[in-house]
Formats: sequence, structure tokens, C-alpha cells
Amino acid sequence: MLSVSPREERADALVSRREYVRVEGLGKSFGPHRALDDINFAVRSGEVVAIIGPSGSGKSTLLRCLNQLETQSEGSVTLAGITIDAAKPATRQQLTELRRSAGMVFQSFNLFPHMSVLRNVSLPQERVLGRSRKEADERSRALLSRVGLEAKADQYPNRCSGGQQQRIAIARALALDPKIMLFDEPTSALDPELGLEVLAVMQELAEAGMTMIVVTHEMHFAETVSDRIIIMADGRIIEEGPSAEVMRRPTTERAQRFLNAVKNR
Amino acid sequence: MTLDAVLLIASGIPLTLAVTAGAFALGAVLGIPLCALRVSRSSTLHLAAVAIIMLLRSIPPIVWLFLLYFGIGSGFLRVGPVEASVAALGLITAANMAEIYRGALRGVHSGQWEASTALGMKPWARFRDVLAPQICRMALPSSVTFFIGLLKDSAIASTIGVGEIAFQANYISRRTFEGLEVFAVAGLVYILISLPIAAMSRQLDSRLRERVAQ
Amino acid sequence: MIDLLDFWRDSVPQLLDGLEVTLRITGVALALGIPLGLALALGVQSPTSSIRYPSLAIVEIGRGAPALILLQFAYFGLPSAGLSLSSFAAASMALAWTTGAYTSEIIRAGLQAVPRGQREAAVAVGMTHIDGLRFVIVPQAMRIAAPALLGFAVLMLQASSLCFAIALPELLSQAYIIGTNTFRYMPILCLAGALYAAICIPASLAVASIERELSRHTA
Repeated sequence: MLSVSPREERADALVSRREYVRVEGLGKSFGPHRALDDINFAVRSGEVVAIIGPSGSGKSTLLRCLNQLETQSEGSVTLAGITIDAAKPATRQQLTELRRSAGMVFQSFNLFPHMSVLRNVSLPQERVLGRSRKEADERSRALLSRVGLEAKADQYPNRCSGGQQQRIAIARALALDPKIMLFDEPTSALDPELGLEVLAVMQELAEAGMTMIVVTHEMHFAETVSDRIIIMADGRIIEEGPSAEVMRRPTTERAQRFLNAVKNR
Repeated sequence: MTLDAVLLIASGIPLTLAVTAGAFALGAVLGIPLCALRVSRSSTLHLAAVAIIMLLRSIPPIVWLFLLYFGIGSGFLRVGPVEASVAALGLITAANMAEIYRGALRGVHSGQWEASTALGMKPWARFRDVLAPQICRMALPSSVTFFIGLLKDSAIASTIGVGEIAFQANYISRRTFEGLEVFAVAGLVYILISLPIAAMSRQLDSRLRERVAQ
Repeated sequence: MIDLLDFWRDSVPQLLDGLEVTLRITGVALALGIPLGLALALGVQSPTSSIRYPSLAIVEIGRGAPALILLQFAYFGLPSAGLSLSSFAAASMALAWTTGAYTSEIIRAGLQAVPRGQREAAVAVGMTHIDGLRFVIVPQAMRIAAPALLGFAVLMLQASSLCFAIALPELLSQAYIIGTNTFRYMPILCLAGALYAAICIPASLAVASIERELSRHTA
């Protein structure tokens, strides 16, 4: 237990890396409801950050603010060099840049049901990056084989299992060569077994050096794959630090309570 | 366009309303037995009702109107234009109302019928006190939508000389060659008549919703 | 009886000519009207009020005024504004308007039925709003709207009989002409009615079975 794990070693090396995400004073209100309150954190290139916490704690809202599916009420988000401040509305060009830099994977997959698997992965490349059909299809097939689904290329999404659909969704997001991947509870809609195949793909991505922010309920994944864990409750960050430390020795009472509840389930 | 012309178009409103209301009343009544046949357990009666409803709905209203006015009217017995219009639109209404009643009937939970039986209510009382109010409540929105559609369909009566809105518009446009304004005003009159009907139905609907918990 | 059959047989070619016009005008009205309906459906949802209000006006007038009045407006009214249209052109315009107004409601329901996540996914992969509509939302919405649009097409075929009022030689007009020439209104109108029924009944049954089929798949 005294030896330093390779992941912790990696965490040390990360300190010198470039910052990819910086969130400052982020707040979000839905009417009278305060969904996010004074959120501050940064993510460096190559880092894998897991955001955990009880449901309704604002995890997903935070993630959705990062690529501006929700616009924050206060504060700013900087992602891959683009800063979006609540004070002034983002330009269309900024938003396009931002979303191109951040790949998003949803809980409900959100594949386009009327297109083949291959088209799902190729279309955004053609429309957003201006790749030719041939170029896009080549890249799509490569990515589909990376997630182990090359054989499904010509099928429609509804012929695939949930786990396969989520892996396709990951391929679709990767196809735009994002600088960072955002995962919004990617395994919550899946049976545990199917969840595992998705987690395996995510682990492979993490090991390949992809910068990732993962909102998740998978404590094992958070502990073993992520470099850092952020625990949220009631719209605030209540605990943050290297994964092993946070999981073993949470400092706040609220975080202890949450982790105990999850571990004793 | 002169005020006289506008007034003349407006003078068609009573006949438009009369034809619409007459046809609706006829159809609302005839729709009841038709619906009863439609939900009957006897397959012969059921099929007959399905065939009647389908036939009534798949031939255009104006063809029914001509069948009654020129077809029957020219041979067997004299039929006035207003009567022909009310009858033709009334028949089509019957088919549609039968379907609306059926939808409402399906919407009333079967437990209501069972509960009233279990309470020992007589069949007529069960129908009048338990089912009928709920059916009316369920059928109201689609009936009003149909009524407003019927109001517009009643314009076909102008083709056989019933002096309603469309007829007056036609008459003025032929005399003054100001068709653009004339038909625009006529269209507006139809829209203006439908608005209060729709508003009244919404109000009635919310009041019934309060009274009949659903 | 033989006499009646002879009369029908002699009238059939003229009625079929009318039926052809009926089908042509219905086809044109749908071909122009459904794209218009899509544009209006998007228009009434537009955040830009200079697009939203005109779209709403076109829809509300098209649904609120009787189709017969729109037909006469186009045929008898537009000439007084210096635009004389043939009865076919006037009928195309008026019925396309009606079609656009009604189908915009059907298509709007289809647009609303596309899950929210689809819109978000299109945004998240960086597609522009227009691309998202074109490749993701509209194709799915039209699929959802298809059965109702087919049902509307059957109604439109029936509504084309109103073109009688602007002297378009469609099915009902032809029947009426034969009727005035022979004074045998009843048999010829019955035959015309039977032709309408022969198209509309199978079409309605087909639409109903498509609807059942689709609802079984989505349920």
C-alpha cells in the first residue's frame, strides 16, 4: 500500500501540463432553484476527472454548461482556449469551436435513429469538419473498429444493444478529434454487463491520454480510472482531490456520508 | 368596397349558422344510433355501421349535397336548398359524431359502469347519471372542433343557392368585380365567427372539468 | 336497368377525364402544400417575430377560412388585383394554401415529438441549427407525421371537388355537366360518388393499417 501507484505517478506528471478546462465562479439558476453555485476547478490536458455525488447535486448541469448545452447564469467557462462568460452572450463561431473541441456522450446515447451506424459517425465529420464522404467513412470505420463495432457499420442503431449504441456514440464524438471528452452518466441507462463494455472503452481512451470529464455513479471506475474526483452536493463542490485520497480519506462530513451510502449499498 | 357590401356579406351569417346548427343537431342525434350499431356485439350490425360511416366519410360533402339536391330533388320529391344542405351535412356529421361518441365511450373507464352496477343502479339511471355526463365531457372538445369545421363546410350550400355568407360574397363579386376584398372579408367573417365558439368551448370544457373529475 | 348500364358506360370516359384532373390537382396541391406546411411549421416556431407572425397569419387564415372561399378568392379575386389565373392555377394556389396550413400543424406535432436528446446531440457534435434541422430533426419529424399526412391527402382528394365552384373540369364538374345535359343527375352523381369512394375507402383503410403498424413498432 505504500508504493506509489502508476496512476498517482501520472497525476504528478500532470501538474506541468497545459490547462484544458477552467471553470470560475460558475452558477446556474432555474427560476428560484439554484442548480450550481460558485463552482471553480481546472482540468489539465490528459487528465481524467470523475464527478460524483447524489442525484440532483448538479453534476449533469455542470457538464452541460461546459459545452454550453446549458448557459450559465454567472461565471465563466474556458475550454480549449475558448472563454464563455455569463456576462456576454457567446458568438455562434465560439459555440461551434467549443463544441468541436468537446465531444459529448449522453446517458441516453442520442444516436440518430434514421441513419446507419456509419452515417451517424460520418455525418458530423462531413458537416462540421468539411471532410469528404470517403475520408469521413474511413475515419468512422477506424473508430468503430477501435470500439469493437466495425461489423455494425451498416446496421441501424436500434438493431444494436444499449452498450453497443453507447460505444457508437463514443466513436461519433471521437470522430471530430475533440481535445476533451465529456461523459454524462454514460452507463446509467445500461445493464451492468453492458455497462462494463462501455467502461472498458472509456478506460482504453483514458490510457491513450484523452482528457476526460466523466459524470458517473460507477465508483469503481472513478476510483481506478480517474486521476481526480470531484464530489458535488446541492450544486456545490464539496470535495476534490486525487481519486485514491478522496475515496479513502474524504475530509468533509457530507462527502463521508455520501461515500458511505454508496459503499454500503 | 362599400359598407353596404360588408353588410350584405354579414346578412348571410344567420343562414350560415342555421345550416351549420341544423346539420350538427341532425348529425348529433343520428350519430347516437349509428354509434350504438358500431359498438354492437353483433358482427352484422357492426359491419353495417362501419360501412355506413366509411361511405359517408369518403364521399366529398359537396357530392352528397348534389346527390340530395339534384339527384333526389330532380326526381322523386322536391327538396329545398336549405333542407338539402342540412340533410347532406347532417349525414356526414352523423358519421363523424358516431366516431366521436365511440372515442368518448372508450375513454370512460369500464370500472365506472361496473361500479354503478355494483351500487345497484338501474340501467337507465346508470347511463343518465354516470355515463352520459362523462361521455359528454369527453366528446366536447372534438365535437366543437368538428362544429367549427362544419361551419366552414357549410359554405358549399352557396353552390345550390342558399343565401349564406359565401353566396352573398359570390353575388357581390360578380356584380362589382371586387373579388379580392369581397372574398377576403367573407373569409374573415368565418374566422370571426369561429373564434367565440372556440373560446366558449374552452370555457365550458374547463368548467366541466371542474365538475366531472377526470 | 340495361338503359342505366348503357348510360354509365357512355359516361365513364368523361368521368375518368374528370378523375384525372382531380388526381392532378390533388397531387399539385400536396406537392406544393406539404413543403409549405414544413416551412410554416418551422416558421411558427421561429424566435424571430418577423417570421413567426406572418407564418401564424398564413396558417390561421388557411385553417380558418373555408377552402371554397380561398378557391374563389384566388380565381375571382386575384384578377381584380391584376393577376388572372387559370382555374387550374388558382385551384393549385388555394388548395396548396389550405394544405400548407393544415399540414403545418401535423408537421409541428411531428417536430415536437422528436426527442429533445436528438436536438442536443446535433448541437453537441457541433452541427449548425440549419444542419441539425435538415439532417436530424426534420427527417425524423416527417417520418412521425407521415401517417397523418397520408390521411390528410385523402381529405384533400375530397376537397378538390370544391373546384367545381371555379369551373375546373374535375370529377364532380364532369358529373354535373353530364347531369345538366341528360337530366339524369341521380345515376351520374352516384357513379361519381362511387369513384370517390373507390379511391378514398381503400386509401383510408391503408392509412389506418399503416398507423396501426407504426404504433406497434414504436410502442
